[in-house]
Amino acid sequence: MKLSTSAKLRQATLARDRELSLGLVATAVLALLPALAPDWQLSELARYFSYMMLAASLAWVWGHCGLLCLGQAVFFGIGAYAMSVVSLAKLPMLPQLQSMWLGLLLAVALTGAFAWFLGLLFFSSARLGGAFFGIVTLAVAFIVERLAINWSFLGGLNGLMGVPAMRFGLNGGEEQFDGVIVYYVALLLTVALIGLLLRITRSEWGRVMTAVRNQPLRAEALGIDVAREKNRAFVLGAVIASVAGAFFVTQFNFASPPLIGFALSAEALIWVAVGGRTSVVAAALGALLVRLLEGWLTDQLGDYWLLALGSLFVVVVVALPRGVLGQWIAGRTALRQE
Amino acid sequence: MTILLDAANYVLILTLVALGLAIVFGLMNVINMAHGELMMIGAYVVVSARQADLPVWIGMAAAPLVVAALGMVIEELVVRRVYTRLLDTILATWGLSMILKQAIVLGFGPGSWSVPNPLPTLVTVFGEPYPLYRLFIMLVAVLALALTFALFFATDWGLTARSVIANRPMAACLGIDTRSLDRATFAYGAGLAGLAGAVMAPIVSLDPQFGAGFLVPAFLSILVGGLGSVAAPLAGATALGVTDTLVSAFHSPVWAQGVVFSVAIILIRVFPRGIAARGQRGV
Repeated sequence: MKLSTSAKLRQATLARDRELSLGLVATAVLALLPALAPDWQLSELARYFSYMMLAASLAWVWGHCGLLCLGQAVFFGIGAYAMSVVSLAKLPMLPQLQSMWLGLLLAVALTGAFAWFLGLLFFSSARLGGAFFGIVTLAVAFIVERLAINWSFLGGLNGLMGVPAMRFGLNGGEEQFDGVIVYYVALLLTVALIGLLLRITRSEWGRVMTAVRNQPLRAEALGIDVAREKNRAFVLGAVIASVAGAFFVTQFNFASPPLIGFALSAEALIWVAVGGRTSVVAAALGALLVRLLEGWLTDQLGDYWLLALGSLFVVVVVALPRGVLGQWIAGRTALRQE
Repeated sequence: MTILLDAANYVLILTLVALGLAIVFGLMNVINMAHGELMMIGAYVVVSARQADLPVWIGMAAAPLVVAALGMVIEELVVRRVYTRLLDTILATWGLSMILKQAIVLGFGPGSWSVPNPLPTLVTVFGEPYPLYRLFIMLVAVLALALTFALFFATDWGLTARSVIANRPMAACLGIDTRSLDRATFAYGAGLAGLAGAVMAPIVSLDPQFGAGFLVPAFLSILVGGLGSVAAPLAGATALGVTDTLVSAFHSPVWAQGVVFSVAIILIRVFPRGIAARGQRGV
């Protein structure tokens, strides 16, 4: 269906409102949950929050900026390992430091530098766009996973166990085991980061990235440094994934190679595709919904669950490229566009 | 010398896998992430033949046909619906690979299978003993590659296919049935993967992860080789395969994959058009 410009504008405004209200409603529901749900479910949910942040970071990188990253979990994993190494007081030469804050800082610094390096390597050549970039990031995921498996400093195949829970002290301190407090900290972090991403997608820079995604040549002609902007966007996505990973490990108390490689990257891609790649809110809720569905359906379907998940993924990609929630946000009239 | 033969072995198999991918990509602009799983299913066809007390050879002959038929079904059900969306072909076929892998886990269990070697003798090559079966693999791979090149460069069908690769809308305007060509091409690419999996079955410990280990090297082969021609995957696979075998032999197999992938990424960066490129096509 062809729409007039004004109709398109109206629709875009409507979609933005829907996205925001979806986010607000979800936040409200999640904020009220501790009144109803038992403690163990809260800690389960708090863990899912880190998946939501990972999904949102991938939606930003892939859906908004058009950089299909098949290895987003690499950054999640680097964050998780960085946090574990610091919290376990395993820092080389500085074993007296074990602050959670330092772990977070290290996670952000390491992933930021790594993503920046990768971006520098690949975005400067226009020929390595789209699919090429996807395959290369997939290879990077394989390399990094291999590295984690074979590096005994990181615990090899077994990973790093016994990572302490959250400790708010400047250098260690008491572990925080109160489920409700941890839940609210997690929720706050998640809402803050996803809100930040949402704001960025709607900022001027967000529009620049849309231009880079849709019309790289035209964007270049308008004076936008496409390679540099892509790199900045990629680094931002990586840092958010890394914070998610660092937070995850304080919850899960265990960092292992599956967190850093192919498997989690693929899962994140499914969450984002099912939720909706064009919206960070939809993608994050996609992660939550798929995980909840998984918890519920693995009991019923057993080994057939993966079969069902794969089929769901294929059907969504083929028939609903905007994802389930993304389609709702975009509205019905947008169904046949693009 | 044995190292060289091992390297040649790996290179040829990798070329066979990469060639299937490259044909499908070149002709249809589809990136098939399920290619590794198609290869794995080829190997499981041999296992099924064993279970039915049929000779291994029958399984090997049937594998390419079974997998090609499966490829045709996949093309009809999924791939043709995402033709125009390159990045979505990655996702849809990735989902397919999950489905196929899980189907095999359900059918054959997650554990590993072994297929007895049908040619267990050693022969002397360049003064050193070498397994006869590995020479057979090389022979099959060379024949399959030769057949593919003959098909593309010496038949009318190949001419048609190459015209579609060069300019799809124009070819369609001239009355070429691109639809059936796509279907046949996808099936042929799948068949090549099935063949590669089937001949590899007796020399590996076969589990559902088998195909995934070949997918990324095959993709990198294509990217390293370049997308310009049907011959490019051979160049890419040679670069990757030789590096892999040398690192495995002189350092350790543990690091081989990491080194190979890193080398490949650097090569791709330095030669974005591929080391064998003269073509002008981009992605």
